[in-house]
Amino acid sequence: MPKAKPDVMAVVLAGGRVDELSVLTAHRPKSAVPFGGFARVIDFALSNLMQSGLELVAVLSQYRSFSLINHIGIGASWDMIGRHRGVFVLPPYQGFGQSSWYRGTADAVRQNLDFIQFHAPETILVLSGDHVYHMDYREIIAYHRQKEADCTFACVEVPEALAHRFGVAEIDDEDGRLGGRVLQYQEKPAEPCSRWASMTVYCFKPRVLYELLAANAREDESFEFGRDILPRAMASHRKVYGYKFRGYWGYTRTIEEYWQTSMDLLGEQPRLPLEQWGTRTNLDQRDIRDCPPLKVGEEAVVHNSLVYNGCQVEGRVENSVLFPGVQVKPGAVVRDSVLFFDNVVGRDCRLEKVVSDVNVTVGDGVVIGVSAPPTADGEAAGAGHEGSAENWAGGASGDSGGTVTVLGWNNQIPAGMVIGAGCTLYPALGPEKMTRQRVADGEVLR
Amino acid sequence: MSLKLEDPLVLLLAGGVGSRLNNLVQSRAKPAVPFGGIYRIIDFSLSNVMNAGFPQVGVLTQYKPLSLMRHIGDGTAWDFAGRTRGAKILPPRTGSQDSDWYKGTADAVRQNIDFIRAHPAPEVVILSGDHIYSMDLDDLVSSHRRKEADLTVATMVVPREQIHQFGAAITDEEGRIVEWEEKPAVPRTDLASMGIYVLSTDYLLNYLEKYRDDLDFGMDLIPRAIATDRVFAYPFRGYWRDVGTIQAYWEANMDLLAADSPLNPAAWGTRPNPETEGLPYDRCPARFMGDSLVRQSLIPAGCIIEGTVLNSVLSPGVRVGPGAVVRDSILFHDCRVAAGATVDLAILDKRVQVGEKAVVGQGEDKTVVNRDNPKHLYSGISLLGKQAQIPAGAVIGRNCVVSPGSRVEDFPGATLSSGESVQPAG
Repeated sequence: MPKAKPDVMAVVLAGGRVDELSVLTAHRPKSAVPFGGFARVIDFALSNLMQSGLELVAVLSQYRSFSLINHIGIGASWDMIGRHRGVFVLPPYQGFGQSSWYRGTADAVRQNLDFIQFHAPETILVLSGDHVYHMDYREIIAYHRQKEADCTFACVEVPEALAHRFGVAEIDDEDGRLGGRVLQYQEKPAEPCSRWASMTVYCFKPRVLYELLAANAREDESFEFGRDILPRAMASHRKVYGYKFRGYWGYTRTIEEYWQTSMDLLGEQPRLPLEQWGTRTNLDQRDIRDCPPLKVGEEAVVHNSLVYNGCQVEGRVENSVLFPGVQVKPGAVVRDSVLFFDNVVGRDCRLEKVVSDVNVTVGDGVVIGVSAPPTADGEAAGAGHEGSAENWAGGASGDSGGTVTVLGWNNQIPAGMVIGAGCTLYPALGPEKMTRQRVADGEVLR
Repeated sequence: MSLKLEDPLVLLLAGGVGSRLNNLVQSRAKPAVPFGGIYRIIDFSLSNVMNAGFPQVGVLTQYKPLSLMRHIGDGTAWDFAGRTRGAKILPPRTGSQDSDWYKGTADAVRQNIDFIRAHPAPEVVILSGDHIYSMDLDDLVSSHRRKEADLTVATMVVPREQIHQFGAAITDEEGRIVEWEEKPAVPRTDLASMGIYVLSTDYLLNYLEKYRDDLDFGMDLIPRAIATDRVFAYPFRGYWRDVGTIQAYWEANMDLLAADSPLNPAAWGTRPNPETEGLPYDRCPARFMGDSLVRQSLIPAGCIIEGTVLNSVLSPGVRVGPGAVVRDSILFHDCRVAAGATVDLAILDKRVQVGEKAVVGQGEDKTVVNRDNPKHLYSGISLLGKQAQIPAGAVIGRNCVVSPGSRVEDFPGATLSSGESVQPAG
């Protein structure tokens, strides 16, 4: 028997910037944002696909695609190489006739239908590359096929007060805990009909998807799966099912949510059990495969933290996530923070609730984020999304708008500077922007 | 442009047994022994070749080559990938005439003359896969060319009392080797051979065919060559260790922990190959939980630390349970030290499990040498072989050897006095 060609094509939507992530997406799409001390957000979707045996994958990329293309490489990190395996990054292109940027997720898929149709899949799995979760897609595909559905999408239960931020589905009891027929779908409704939020994981019958995309392109002004394609599927009385997902779903649309999802990695019983997920990343990226083991110094303290190879800790690190190459000098304290690749924290610094992008150097004695009023945020680590609404307190503005201070990449913070809580520093500000002694809480430096 | 004929060909001798490393080499060749948490010993030599930009390396294997072969793979971890680059494993093989195991360094090279002919190069660089060091091999070859040498021997200054372990060179003021003693009992020089040679290819081929009974470079070739040919010493200054004994191996690992250590794999550009492990997932960042206390240690990805780790080198995937203490020790991949256990001055091979409240390295007296291996274990270090299981509450003394695969039932009375060894039953 020759090996059969794949009958599922996975399409990963990875083109978006997501304004609310502020400076973290200044130079990369959301899906390429680092997460978990070694990985990128898209690694979770790609690892899920690999573990689900789905190894024919298209990645739709538009915004600042280099970092994503570089990260995915030839796909070998997820074993997606071979004659019928592969990850294909599909950027916008100029055509013989009309050419345009991707005007939305649905438009991106529609512009690449020839690629999808060439592979003649039985089922098309469309999913976002922006979320942190662990899911066996074989289960939703099996459910989709068992129900002979036109479209099946995965839903997760969110707190009532937050449901208005999502596409929500009212799902009947047809299959109990597993899921059921979708009776009603609302995109970001003021008054949600349900707490089951769409995770942006959709299975489609190809023919139905093609019809919906064609109608959308013909008749609509907006071209998004959540806002346009699902409502169209409901309006045209397609067979639409909701699959109920019960695991952890890290929704990281804002800086506060990004920070909270990172804190969920920590604690005695982490809500996000990274070790159990078996996530793979591309170890060639930034040469992290060559990093020597973490070196812990003579006076160092490391508590309740994740620290990757290539780091050197001589100070104190608590409740934090350190990516490769971070140095914490003697006397420095890093608490409740996420430091991306190659940050250097100088002597006697204090960092609290900081998310710092790559290549940030913090001079000696700098204090960042400490003026935040004493709250229960430290304890909130390990509580989570399904708990009370205050864990989702992220503002909707373009800047962090909360108590987390975010530092854009390639900044050099001069010695002695004091930066308050909830501040935002734009990337690569240069010394002329760094002349102030103090940046007040909530200020944006650009 | 050039066909890259200017690059030398490298032969890396990686067949050594390294028997003084005791049960660390029971299932692997010495070059494949893990080092510094994430490396294997051969990574240092392979990285030196990579960093010199030499495109072709043949790795001569013989003893227990499987883990070495898996580790080297196709060489892409060290960028030996492409049309004209490559790392090739060269095991002993049968042929029409030569059909034997490698009987010495020169013999091993002679049996691979076809490989040398298939990769035309002006020189052949011969390295050992046994050493921890960083050397600019490009400079070594430049020196060979500058001196118009037939043979260049890399040398370094060692304490005179150690010279008896090495080939010893006496040079003139130009660096030409005028006298040579292989492992001299009485030191006359402090210049030791590092087992690293550059030979002009024509000279090498001519020699190997002319003196077919010569088996070893140090014993046979060099003494013969200095009489008639241009043989030069290349002086190396820097960190270099032959980690061929348990004591030297432990000390070199501990050298990694010093604040400004001259042993600095990251600065040297030494590359490991994490894919050797063949895991279906990537190791997560090291996790520190509970009342973890870590000082002066190397903790790679995949470790989960809930206890205390002091002055130790861990490999990926090690777990140290709550209340456990690891001190002055080297733990290979995926070892488990259960809650309340102590590991003091020990080397634990892969997947060793130390049961709850067990003690490895008990007692102040470190002078009772190992009875079976008095020359391997004499300074207090205990050695626990691969996958050994130490029962909960067991007490293991100093200078003990626990054989690979030992199980809980192999410890009657759950104690092992200093200097004793345990073999698995049956």
